[in-house]
Amino acid sequence: MRANYRVNSGVRFQMLSDDQLQELLNGVLHVLEYTGLDVYHDEAREILEKAGARVDGLRVRLPPYLVKRSLEMAPRSFTLGARDGNAKHNIQIGPGRAHFGPGPTCPSFIDVDTLERRPYVKSDVPIVAKVVDALPNIDFCESLGTVSDVQHKLGALYEFAGMFPNTNKPIVARSHDRFDLAGIHEIAVAEAGGQAAFEKRPNYVHCSEPPSPLVSTFEALDKLLFAARHRVPLIFAPCPVAGGTAPVTAAGIVIQGAAESWMGLTLAQIVQPGLPFIVGGVYSVMGMSSMIPAYGAPELVLMMAGISELSHYAGLPVWQTGGCTDAKTFDEQAIIEGSLSVLISALTGGDLCHDVGYTESAMTGSVLQLVAMDEAIGYSRRISRGIEVNEDTLAVDVIHSVGPNGHYLRQAHTRRYFRNEFWYPNLCDRRNYEEWSMMGKTTMKDRTVARVRDILATHRPSPLKPVTEKVIEKVLAEAEERVKKE
Amino acid sequence: MSWLYERISTAILEGDSDKTADLVKKALDEGLPAKEVLDNGMVAGMSEVGARFKVGEMFVPDVLVSADSMQAGLNVLRPYLISSGVKLLGKIVMGTVKGDLHDIGKNLVNMMCEGAGFEVIDIGFDVDPQQFVDAIKEHQPDVVGMSAMLTTTMRAMAHTIKAIEESGLRTTVKIMVGGASVDAAFAERIGADGYGSNAPSGVDLAKRLAGVA
Repeated sequence: MRANYRVNSGVRFQMLSDDQLQELLNGVLHVLEYTGLDVYHDEAREILEKAGARVDGLRVRLPPYLVKRSLEMAPRSFTLGARDGNAKHNIQIGPGRAHFGPGPTCPSFIDVDTLERRPYVKSDVPIVAKVVDALPNIDFCESLGTVSDVQHKLGALYEFAGMFPNTNKPIVARSHDRFDLAGIHEIAVAEAGGQAAFEKRPNYVHCSEPPSPLVSTFEALDKLLFAARHRVPLIFAPCPVAGGTAPVTAAGIVIQGAAESWMGLTLAQIVQPGLPFIVGGVYSVMGMSSMIPAYGAPELVLMMAGISELSHYAGLPVWQTGGCTDAKTFDEQAIIEGSLSVLISALTGGDLCHDVGYTESAMTGSVLQLVAMDEAIGYSRRISRGIEVNEDTLAVDVIHSVGPNGHYLRQAHTRRYFRNEFWYPNLCDRRNYEEWSMMGKTTMKDRTVARVRDILATHRPSPLKPVTEKVIEKVLAEAEERVKKE
Repeated sequence: MSWLYERISTAILEGDSDKTADLVKKALDEGLPAKEVLDNGMVAGMSEVGARFKVGEMFVPDVLVSADSMQAGLNVLRPYLISSGVKLLGKIVMGTVKGDLHDIGKNLVNMMCEGAGFEVIDIGFDVDPQQFVDAIKEHQPDVVGMSAMLTTTMRAMAHTIKAIEESGLRTTVKIMVGGASVDAAFAERIGADGYGSNAPSGVDLAKRLAGVA
């Protein structure tokens, strides 16, 4: 029996002190109370006003008590369910648990056969979903692109319809408006076995990104209201760019970004108290000559650590960003930028870390980057797991019994632990020169391409229910009819 | 073929020494020929261990417990093998070269070679070239293994090979080398017949050199 003994589970990373976090939180409350946001949705303004917000034209200002009440209502821990009920692929959101997945909406894609950059098309969606489904360290699915070869209002719906059958991991869905979101929801509910079953085990999350600075658009809030009323967990996360659409300082961008998310949070918690709600986004710096928002900048990593710590301090899960790069091709820059952001994201316990697989500053989706980052995430997870200290791991008895000039390879202790204590690489090469040379002197890129092609040739995701396949056909047909009439 | 062979193979694969010894005894009690117990049960089990090691399904600690089980079975089997005049896979003389006191790696190779069915004569560490020559004369091995851990002692391997050549015994044995400082290019340069980068690959090499692979 031990007394007054403290255990650290995993590596501890903390950038800001509680005093600093309280200052940031006060800053967010101040912005929401005195500056407010322009809210371009009549019904949303009415709901907020009725609950105690001050409305002046489009401008909505929130009294701190209203914001604090919504922070209280939103859960810090909840579960997203795997489509087929396989608990291994559930996501348990909660303190100290980092999860990873791709991002959405890149116009271009690296073709997996030619390895050339070209527009993202409908047939790329199942490729991304299958690779996500197969990778051990990728936990949720997004499409890595905007489908260019369908009617533009239906891109997000076709993405969902392409992802859902090809992975059983929870999906982060986008939508164009409340109509295609209704279609997405119909598909998800059909598979879950009805609305009540969906509410118990939601198999997708809806994500929308309000524009910065300080605007809640009609579409963003219209979709938020639909999702809230149907108890769809929400990500409401802006993409502020320091020096352009947000203050140039990291502390300033964190405050503004949080204020943008918390407006949505307040509305959602009024409509649906206790709705799982995730804040965060992509916080980065603007290239002061190119004006391109950077996806591989150290400031992105810092700002995302800042919003993660503030969100966790306020009791909210965070939509982290990592595994992305400004590099145009699969090169050393891509790996440096991707790996470092993945490591820090894991250390911050970023609840859902997205944009893994982004290249060219979010302009091109790459499953090569995604697969390489799966390796970096495995590596980072081993580090963040830390060192376990107990009677058995201290190994004092084993040290004694082996003694000087012995070896540990035959110890039961070694056999008990070596599989879990050590991380085993999938793509990184640790063979000696002769073996590496005999196996064709492959580079990381060669092995990554081979892994992608191997997954696509062999991986079989668990099947959809037949009824859901019918619902997908029906929803797509109805959506095509709808946009034809417009 | 007796169902016992498969159970012996499985016991070795699982690294269960007691079970292996029991099953070998049972097989002999049932009158199965010692040579077949060795080939169809034990060596078959160790071959599977080697195959799984190569594809990354088993690791060195697993291979070692399997080798221990092989040993446990061999201890039961050995008197029967001798009385029926059956030869083991081959004979290996093994030592760490002059000036080098590191023998853990060499001991691992020994154990795994024994596990694979070789007779291994361990002549220790800090072994000077003449002692290698004497051991070859005395034991007439198929293979001579040399180990060196240090870049400062690896040259002693070259000296030892030269001494074996000068004694006129070079053509009677195959020579394999290994150890942290050694690589394939060095092995070739000093006139060895093969290089093993780790203990399990040392076993494969010994089999190849003894002509039993």
